[in-house]
Amino acid sequence: MKIVTARRISQIFFFSLFVWFCVVSTVGSKPWQIRGWPVNLFLQLDPLAAIGTILTTHTLYASLLWALPTVILTIVFGRFFCSWVCPFGSLHHFTGFLGNRNKPTPQKIQLNKYRKAQCVKYFVLIVFLAMAAFPSLGASLQIGLLDPIPLLTRSFNLLLLPVFDSSVNFVSATARFYEGAWLIFAVFLSAVLLNLIIPRFYCRFVCPLGALFGLLGRFALWRIGKNSSPCADCKLCERNCEGGCEPAGRIRISECVLCFNCLDYCRDDVIAYQTKPSSAGEVTGPDLSRRGFVLSLIGGVFAVPALRLSGKLSGNWNHKVIRPPGALAEEQFLERCIKCGQCMRICPTNVIQPAGIETGLENLWTPVLNNRIGSSGCQLNCVACGQVCPTSAIRPITLDEKLGIGKFADAGPIKLGTAFIDRNRCLPWAFGRPCIVCQENCPVSPKAIYTREDFNTIRNGLMTVKQAQGKIIETVESTMPADRFATGDYYCVFAGEKPLKITANSEDSIEIAENPAKKPTEGDTIAIQIRLQRPYIDIEKCIGCGVCEHECPVSGRKAVRVSAEGQTRSADKTFLSLKI
Amino acid sequence: MTRQNDESFGRRQFLARAAKAGISAGAAGIISYLLYDTVGPQAHHPAEDLVTLPGFSVKQQPGRTISIVKGSDRVKTVDKAIELLGGIERFVRPGETVAIKPNVAFASPPMLGATTNPQLVAEVVRLCYSRGQAKKVIVTDNPINDPASCFMLTGIGKAAEAAGAKVILPKPHLFKHTTLQGGKLIKDWPIFYEPFTKVDKLIGIAAVKDHHRSGASMSMKNWYGLLGGRRSTFHQDINTIIAELAMMVKPTLVILDGTEVMITNGPTGGSTSDLKQTNTLIASTDMVAADCYGCSLLNLKVSDLPYLTKAASTGAGITDYESLEPKLATVS
Amino acid sequence: MSIFFQELPMVSTPRRTKRLESVISFCLLAVLVLIAIGVFLKQSDFDMSRFGVYTAASGPTSQKPQTNSPEITLDALTPTGFETPSKSETYTTENLYEKIDGKAPLYLESGFRKLFAQRFVNKKDKDLWMELFLFDMGTAKNAFAVYSVQKRPDAAPLSSVEDRNGGQTMRFAYKTTNASYFAFDRYYVELVGSAQSQELLEAMLAVAGKIPSRLSVANDTEIVELRLFPQENVVAGSYKLHLTGAFGFEGLTDTFTARYMFGDNSLTAFFSRRRDTQDAHAVAESYYKFLIKNGGADKPPLNKNIEAKIVEFYGTTEIVFTTGPFIAGIHEAQSQQLAEELAVKLIDKLSEVAKAQGDDQTK
Repeated sequence: MKIVTARRISQIFFFSLFVWFCVVSTVGSKPWQIRGWPVNLFLQLDPLAAIGTILTTHTLYASLLWALPTVILTIVFGRFFCSWVCPFGSLHHFTGFLGNRNKPTPQKIQLNKYRKAQCVKYFVLIVFLAMAAFPSLGASLQIGLLDPIPLLTRSFNLLLLPVFDSSVNFVSATARFYEGAWLIFAVFLSAVLLNLIIPRFYCRFVCPLGALFGLLGRFALWRIGKNSSPCADCKLCERNCEGGCEPAGRIRISECVLCFNCLDYCRDDVIAYQTKPSSAGEVTGPDLSRRGFVLSLIGGVFAVPALRLSGKLSGNWNHKVIRPPGALAEEQFLERCIKCGQCMRICPTNVIQPAGIETGLENLWTPVLNNRIGSSGCQLNCVACGQVCPTSAIRPITLDEKLGIGKFADAGPIKLGTAFIDRNRCLPWAFGRPCIVCQENCPVSPKAIYTREDFNTIRNGLMTVKQAQGKIIETVESTMPADRFATGDYYCVFAGEKPLKITANSEDSIEIAENPAKKPTEGDTIAIQIRLQRPYIDIEKCIGCGVCEHECPVSGRKAVRVSAEGQTRSADKTFLSLKI
Repeated sequence: MTRQNDESFGRRQFLARAAKAGISAGAAGIISYLLYDTVGPQAHHPAEDLVTLPGFSVKQQPGRTISIVKGSDRVKTVDKAIELLGGIERFVRPGETVAIKPNVAFASPPMLGATTNPQLVAEVVRLCYSRGQAKKVIVTDNPINDPASCFMLTGIGKAAEAAGAKVILPKPHLFKHTTLQGGKLIKDWPIFYEPFTKVDKLIGIAAVKDHHRSGASMSMKNWYGLLGGRRSTFHQDINTIIAELAMMVKPTLVILDGTEVMITNGPTGGSTSDLKQTNTLIASTDMVAADCYGCSLLNLKVSDLPYLTKAASTGAGITDYESLEPKLATVS
Repeated sequence: MSIFFQELPMVSTPRRTKRLESVISFCLLAVLVLIAIGVFLKQSDFDMSRFGVYTAASGPTSQKPQTNSPEITLDALTPTGFETPSKSETYTTENLYEKIDGKAPLYLESGFRKLFAQRFVNKKDKDLWMELFLFDMGTAKNAFAVYSVQKRPDAAPLSSVEDRNGGQTMRFAYKTTNASYFAFDRYYVELVGSAQSQELLEAMLAVAGKIPSRLSVANDTEIVELRLFPQENVVAGSYKLHLTGAFGFEGLTDTFTARYMFGDNSLTAFFSRRRDTQDAHAVAESYYKFLIKNGGADKPPLNKNIEAKIVEFYGTTEIVFTTGPFIAGIHEAQSQQLAEELAVKLIDKLSEVAKAQGDDQTK
């Protein structure tokens, strides 16, 4: 069996595994649902997530330890991950193959030449690591923007899967939506299409993970190179070279992605995977200019404080950023979120959305709740998001902690924010219409929305009595729409009596439910009133789950909206209600 | 021959590389081991990270708990008031560091009476240095308005420095989280903490002011300045928070300046017509007692201010200041 | 597929794969297989409760209830000389009230699933009839609970009821003047007669005897917890299982009790198996506080070695203790000495069990 065949099988295996993990990330115990599938495996194998969080938090969180075998294997064998495991790499490899396979050989060799621009990915890596490295200046984990595993996970989960599933509705019974997916699409598509210009464009020029592997693989014990056999200089080896590392000449070890295509094409058995350096010489490290290095370092170090000058983490904090239950306080959250989108994928109600650029550059693609999207706001008895977060930016909380029961009864429930009734838009408040859908749907017990009864005289509701007999009152005016007031919400008020329910009406008479204590006489004025229950939020009980916002019938700009004040994750910054 | 040389050279190279690879791999392993964290981040500050504000009270001396001095010259009245309690030497030992916490809450000029009078601050600083032989005196507060503007416009910054004290402005890294034992509001809340870890004694100097929410703002409410975060939220339960402040802060001495009280429109006032000349200055080691006497200057009774009895019930002091045999004097 | 992936080589002779290369390739493929196996094994090891999805699992002492309550044809139970004047009735949780009105909550709270009711009338004497109430309580424990808690004060023991056909017996059975009551696996059976009559009683026993073989249950499940009570001086048939609130304290759920008589002295022993040691302590603490709050007073033990709370409660002795996941004690004892002695015996028995089973029971 040829080594390249093994590599192709490996690529197919890991790519399929990756796609499978994306498909099964649904809460449930069927074989095609999450069960115990290790859906975060690729994110855990990815050392950038581990190294990034080590820099920002000075800890290596639990399952990210899987990065250690990847690191050690890279140190010993070189950039095997890029050609054998990375699903994004496989995608680029395949697209590049499709796009360039009919080109003549000399052109292909030219496309695979090493380009100086291949050092850009190292600068990308340095900028991101520098942004993470100095917590005292403000550390921000932005590596997720270009790290291929989170990028591909995002693209699959938030874009490709919902698109493919929208017609078969297998993964999700209802179509899933993700805001700002257009930007994810644009990034993904560009990365893939650029392979038509130069194969493995992303891997060679952009990928910070490849850059990291290039640095780690400097002292690889085995590497590609020419052995001592005579070389005819036919350059066939560079025909399908994936890394752009020039094995025909002085091979650049840090660019070699161990695709073994060179070894496969050499007819004279000159190329080998050996412990000796290439007989034509090798270049071990990346070709970085000192100027470039310093500039990217400074850029990275100053980027975070510069970004934070807008005060978004203190007084000018964004109250629209409502994070999932179990999310850390904002500063700590931004130290851990790698923007992988797993929480958005698994959320059963589709309420967790990727934040767009309007919430700030640091927040791009981090999870925020949009209660208008999805099936119901944040479900009360669900803690799925924290269970799949690979870095614990969203802690894996128990249901007890979320609901504030059992051991957590003292601490109380986790609040995502507080709902605010917009009295200018709410039907019973502004338009004299009965509603209380919000109160009905409030899931906590006792409810966090309560109502106060109020009676409002309706428009044109004042009538003059012609005569009143028993339960029937005839009016001088004959303008009432027949039976309009028979819905059970309308009441009749006169002479300081309490409102009496109207059971029927014609154009010029109303029938009330009980005989009035004092009979109205001719000429008296009666008022037709509508009974309203006006909602109020009990801010001590509201957990900001957003179900009320979701259900509010004022469906554009909702009449009750959740805002992040009162969120328990940042009590000293956004505190709202005391237990009084 | 060259073949052999090549081979041994190759082997040496391989070993050198193997060593480097081994060291890198080893380093990666060791770092992973040292930083490995299975628990993950927690919701609130773990108990080990919470701090407790130190206490600064001195031994009680019966009959020398509270002194009330009448007079219009603050410098003279404060000297007398402290003298009646045993002099500054009772409170400040030679070589000690003292923190003075005046009311610098608003960027308001001294004549409007919304903040502590700067001359009063300066005099207390002077006493600490001259008679108390303090090594260092700091003057600090966490104001509501912009700190630098507050210290400047109130005149306290200049007065303190002229008297030789150092002004400490509230910087973010000086705050730490605390949970008050027995408190229900101060739970995992940031307080202005670091400067007070480096001092031996704490003196609070407050003005007597009307306050729309709590009724009055005197020596106990003065400690609101130690709260950080979005502390305005505690106004929802103002009496409990003042009582908890009295539990949390144990000062050496408080000075309550009733020379010119803000009788209306408190706590910011804004016009000299909001003030009333009452020419009284109180020094006390019992904040509750001091405030109970002080409210009479605002024509209030103890029963008008629920936080007084609440604080007394926590053991922070007693409301019946008469029973403490206050020392009285008049200074012309 | 190889055509799809390979291109036409420039040179016509393909490269000869070296043996080492093949070996390594296969080894790498073997690694992939191992990874696939690992992933596959991992996927079956899961706990849906971390997602907040709970199965129908109930509390610590009860078993999983049967998901399907089989329909039962009661006609076959008709004893000789009797007939069925009306069809058998079936009631579910929705309409149980219609049959037994105010008594429904007792059953509904105890896991009730279905009630089958059937009247049998004597062919010769129409005034001699009985009604069979067959309650499907979901689990044997639930059935035993309602059986034991409802035991009438004038209950007389019924020696084991034999199924002449199948040889099955009903362990729990008693009769009163005009009725007989049984608990068999997850069924609680009441046969209520219109009059006090020996003939009627024989007929009831005949009906009862046929039930085990007609029902699709294997054996009469033993309530094993009852063996944990010390056997000496226990009043026969006094075992009870309180699913909710024993002794008026709502924290004592799933509590077994047994009455003892030492001469003139009566006392009741009780125990309940909680989720874990922590829970046992919590319940014990609450119950102890409940006793004190309601007028109890601490008193010192006569036996210095006893590790329990002793409370004087309106002239009787209450004892509360925990061992492992059990919370247990003595209730309404007239003699403190006897109470302590029984408590020691109970502690010993429960401790043995706790140690043998390990004290963390999570499901």
